[in-house]
Amino acid sequence: MLAAIWQGPFIRLVPVGMVLLALQRSLFVEITIAGVIIQVVLALAAAAGAAAGSERGAIAGFTLGVMYDMVEGLPIGSTAIAMTLAGAVAGLLALIVADPQWWLAMMFTTLGAAVGEVMLPVVRLFTGVADPFEPRLTIIVPVVAIAAGLLSPVFVPLARWCLRIKRAEWVAPPREPAL
Amino acid sequence: MAIYTVGRRRVIFALLLTCALLLTLDLRGNPVLDRVRDGFSRAMSPVESATDVITTPLGRAWNGITKFDDLERENQALHDQVDRLIGTQATARLSVEEYQELLALLSLDSLAGIPTEVAKVVGASSNNLDQIIEINKGRSSGFKVGMPVVNQAGLIGKITSVTDNTAKVLLITDARYAVPVRVLGAPEADSIPTNTNPSGQTNEELKDLVATTAGPSTTLVTDVLNTGTTLPQNDSGSVTVAEDGTIVTDPAAPGDEALKPTVGDTPIGLDDSTDLVVATTTTTTVLALAVKEFGALEGRGRGLIPQIRFLQDNPSIAVLQAGDLVVTAGGFDSLAPPDIPVGVVINRADRSGPGGPLLDVLPYADVTKLNFIRVVKYTPLSEVEQ
Repeated sequence: MLAAIWQGPFIRLVPVGMVLLALQRSLFVEITIAGVIIQVVLALAAAAGAAAGSERGAIAGFTLGVMYDMVEGLPIGSTAIAMTLAGAVAGLLALIVADPQWWLAMMFTTLGAAVGEVMLPVVRLFTGVADPFEPRLTIIVPVVAIAAGLLSPVFVPLARWCLRIKRAEWVAPPREPAL
Repeated sequence: MAIYTVGRRRVIFALLLTCALLLTLDLRGNPVLDRVRDGFSRAMSPVESATDVITTPLGRAWNGITKFDDLERENQALHDQVDRLIGTQATARLSVEEYQELLALLSLDSLAGIPTEVAKVVGASSNNLDQIIEINKGRSSGFKVGMPVVNQAGLIGKITSVTDNTAKVLLITDARYAVPVRVLGAPEADSIPTNTNPSGQTNEELKDLVATTAGPSTTLVTDVLNTGTTLPQNDSGSVTVAEDGTIVTDPAAPGDEALKPTVGDTPIGLDDSTDLVVATTTTTTVLALAVKEFGALEGRGRGLIPQIRFLQDNPSIAVLQAGDLVVTAGGFDSLAPPDIPVGVVINRADRSGPGGPLLDVLPYADVTKLNFIRVVKYTPLSEVEQ
């Protein structure tokens, strides 16, 4: 069991997530674009989906989301749902190509992050918040999604490392011996 | 290559169900989840401290580059505001003391008797929806969920969760925040005698200052909160309430000596005629802040100002209008004590039907720039009696 934990995704994902959470709560609260806070943790969840597929993207999103909820004092699961979906959607989009180039991974991460950010007020609606769809959502979602896409060249390899995903290597078939 | 299978779909579905289960458990209150949350917060604490040390210079550099012009403008505006506030400070202090004396005379609740504690803001909400800040004191300082939080300007929110050494404060601009409030009419100029204020300014001038400096009560009530001042009780007959609602102050009362100017001690900036008015003043007018209506103040999210709902529009009693002052209402179930300044009405929106008007309220406190706050250790009457 210990070996399974050691070789599983959590042993790397949790510490990386903690550092990103700390950065999110300190540096990225200050660095805003058009008054919008960039969501680096959500970006990692979406990048994990783009790098490792929907299943592992969802697991990474769930883990990061639960950590986020615990630190932020939000109801546990509220952000986790959004991040799980972000990872899953980015992973489902990544199915269209065998080994996405960096710019394709950027697009998948962007779309996954957009879905995750849109899901946040939807979940709030179900938890009893009267009117969570604030007018700024039309600015917030594109800014968060584009920022996640721009971060993807860093976060996709980071997610691969966290989840122990090795990049596919295309090997030419051995030559047939000449007759 | 990622391959889509039924098994993958089941995993995603199971994770979403787990989220829903955790959400339900946490919203209903689960001690196990609370302990896990506390433990994780403790584990995060050193990581956050280290990150803070590393990223603070980066954040400052970013702010220096992007917000320098805003800072200059804000600095200039603050200088102007300080100049205006200095002009009204003396009058304001006297008014709040008189207000407290009246409360004492009438045996009403006063904020001065409620213990408070200062805390430092150590974090803000890191998402784009919530309006929550984190402070550096918690359960060990006696903070409890629901306690109101104020700063020098007025109400800023309430505590929503506490750990041993930290607490989360939901700001009044958050969409989940609501508090019962009273709407007070701004003082009428024609009902107040002129040239009776010790500052030498007419009541019309004071009214303008109230409008331009977010109201004297802002500074006043929180001043009392800050210092926990024990105000003089007026059992010596030095202060009496006249029939017209004014306080008649005995010039011989010891507490008033500091306010009486003497010959050769002319305050800077006052001319002779003003001195004459000040020297002969024996009656001080109470600002007639008539209660117009009770309602519920609700936040509306980041960037939007709160609104007051559930108001009854009855013009024969009072007309709700821009410029009215808003303070907490208190009450048996309210988490906030009465008379904490909240803000000023800046707009009225009429609705058709029985809904009543909506009042847009500009909070006195700027919740986007908080550094030190004060937690009011107030227990609602409903919990005291249990």
